[in-house]
Amino acid sequence: MKWIKIKWSPEEADRWSKEDYLTFILSPLIYFLLALGTIWSLLFRWYGWVTLAISGLLLWIMIKIIDPKLKAISRDYEKKQKQFLEELEKIERWEN
Amino acid sequence: MVSFAWLDWFWLIVFIALMVVCGVLFYRLGKRSLADFFLAGRGLPWWLPAASVYATHSATDTPMWVSGVIYKYGLRGIWYTFFSAWCAISAFASTRIFRRSLAYTQAEWQTLRFSGLGAELLRGWIAGWQVFMNMFVLGWVGMAMGKLCHYLFNWPEWVGLILFSSLCAIYVLAAGYWGVVMADFQQGVVAFSVIIIVSIWGIVAAGGPQQIIAKINSLGESWRLNPLAFSGWTSGDFPLVWFLTMLVIAVIGGFGIGTSIDWYPEAQRIQSARTVRDASYSIWAGSALIVVRNSLWAVAVLAFFSLYPRIQSTAQYEMAWYRLGFEFLPVGLVGFFFAAVVAIHISTISTHLNLGASYATRDLYQHYFRPRASDKELVWVGRLTTLILLLGSFLYGLMMKEITQWLIFALWIMTAGIWLPSILQVVWWRFNAWGYLASWMANLGLSWLVVWVLPEFRIIPVLPDYLQFWIMMVLGALIYLPITFMTRPEDMNRLVKYYVMSRPLGWWKPVREEAIRRGLLKDNEGKLAGGQL
Repeated sequence: MKWIKIKWSPEEADRWSKEDYLTFILSPLIYFLLALGTIWSLLFRWYGWVTLAISGLLLWIMIKIIDPKLKAISRDYEKKQKQFLEELEKIERWEN
Repeated sequence: MVSFAWLDWFWLIVFIALMVVCGVLFYRLGKRSLADFFLAGRGLPWWLPAASVYATHSATDTPMWVSGVIYKYGLRGIWYTFFSAWCAISAFASTRIFRRSLAYTQAEWQTLRFSGLGAELLRGWIAGWQVFMNMFVLGWVGMAMGKLCHYLFNWPEWVGLILFSSLCAIYVLAAGYWGVVMADFQQGVVAFSVIIIVSIWGIVAAGGPQQIIAKINSLGESWRLNPLAFSGWTSGDFPLVWFLTMLVIAVIGGFGIGTSIDWYPEAQRIQSARTVRDASYSIWAGSALIVVRNSLWAVAVLAFFSLYPRIQSTAQYEMAWYRLGFEFLPVGLVGFFFAAVVAIHISTISTHLNLGASYATRDLYQHYFRPRASDKELVWVGRLTTLILLLGSFLYGLMMKEITQWLIFALWIMTAGIWLPSILQVVWWRFNAWGYLASWMANLGLSWLVVWVLPEFRIIPVLPDYLQFWIMMVLGALIYLPITFMTRPEDMNRLVKYYVMSRPLGWWKPVREEAIRRGLLKDNEGKLAGGQL
């Protein structure tokens, strides 16, 4: 999937991008299909299994799209978290 | 009434002992610090908070509520339960933003996003409201257990309310959130397994899918089999416009912070995850399990309808899923089922005990009374407030009668007027604390007026709930938007700090440019101006 970015610099990962917007579309769609697919499958309707299979495929695609970016954000943020936590405690103690 | 064999009692006692001991085992971790007592040290892999999201939102009253809407509306009632879809977008939008803020609670987040007196008033208000709300939830969930025990064993309702909540409080008091999340994992696995077993058992007991469909068709009620059987655009008991409203609320609500009453327990799970990625996946996966669980229940309740199609009393058909378990499972498995019901129950109780205590301790006691209190002192305050919440919940529980009515009111109406402001505070830099505070105050008044007071005096007709939502949203905006523009924007220093830390999406251009000017962020060409936070 060349149109999906795999390698992210920290600055790039911090910006909202098409990968995020695609995920915003796919994610609720997967929930919707999961809800319907489970119901129809339990009622032994053939299209229930098809719906579940589509939701599984979309889930796989969604993770392929968003996971590299989430990994990059997490890696970069971990380095700053200690400093941010200190800031947080200062606000909590009315020192800032 | 249900009679237990010795094997049933065996399952029940073993399960309760396991759950309580599992929680207490984490006593040493829970007492290490405030972050351990309320967030498990911010170090959990995604699947632990995910199990906790799932377990917490599977309460004793949840199958009653789902049974109620499916029995009444058929499979289209599943959309009443689809509010959990707010996590679909939240997992990758507001969850990421909130996790990066590192706030313990949503109330604390208000003082990171906003500044000055408005932010402090907001924090105090949300913390106080959350202490009340958690006690309220504990009361209604506890009372659902009281009703169930009355149905099963003919115990007075207060016995079921007090007994199981008190057992659960043992490990919450000892180990705090460590106990909650570890017990939740165990309870989530047990509960999900039993939900699958009982639902499929019920479907088989009703003769299987073909028999259920044939029976419902023969009753002339085939519309019950269609999840998308709307009664018209605006007419009938299930109009399409209701469905679209619900989708907007649930899905778009994921961009906001505090758009749903479920946001508050989720916020704690988000912060307990070890990374931003873990936080996102925990919220997504936990809610996906909830979506699947609701569908399992829906088909099981449909099976129940095919067996008992003419029940008129809400209180009776709300027990549909429980009746499938207790009336059709064989001896020995009934105790296993009840043990799972106890697991479902105490996973919710434990969460709300710890969550309510976190608002009382972090946002009220520490922030406003003892800012320099040691971690040891704060952990003890956390325990004391847990105990107060437990006792308060008994009082609330004994005051409640109708579960479905309260739940629908809370899910739908009480959040209507603050739904949009909860999104605006995330996506729009100019929205300020006074605007958000005004939306809360306006909503409290408007919701009672529009839903109960004005229709009671025949000034307006009783409106369908989707119309109530849109009316309250517009009326609320007429109050909080002018207030926002009439008051100053938030302090730019605070906004820049918040932006650099959380990287919110939406309309933040002036703040982003200021952050670049101060050298805190690289510009679009990747250059850094140089500066200090």
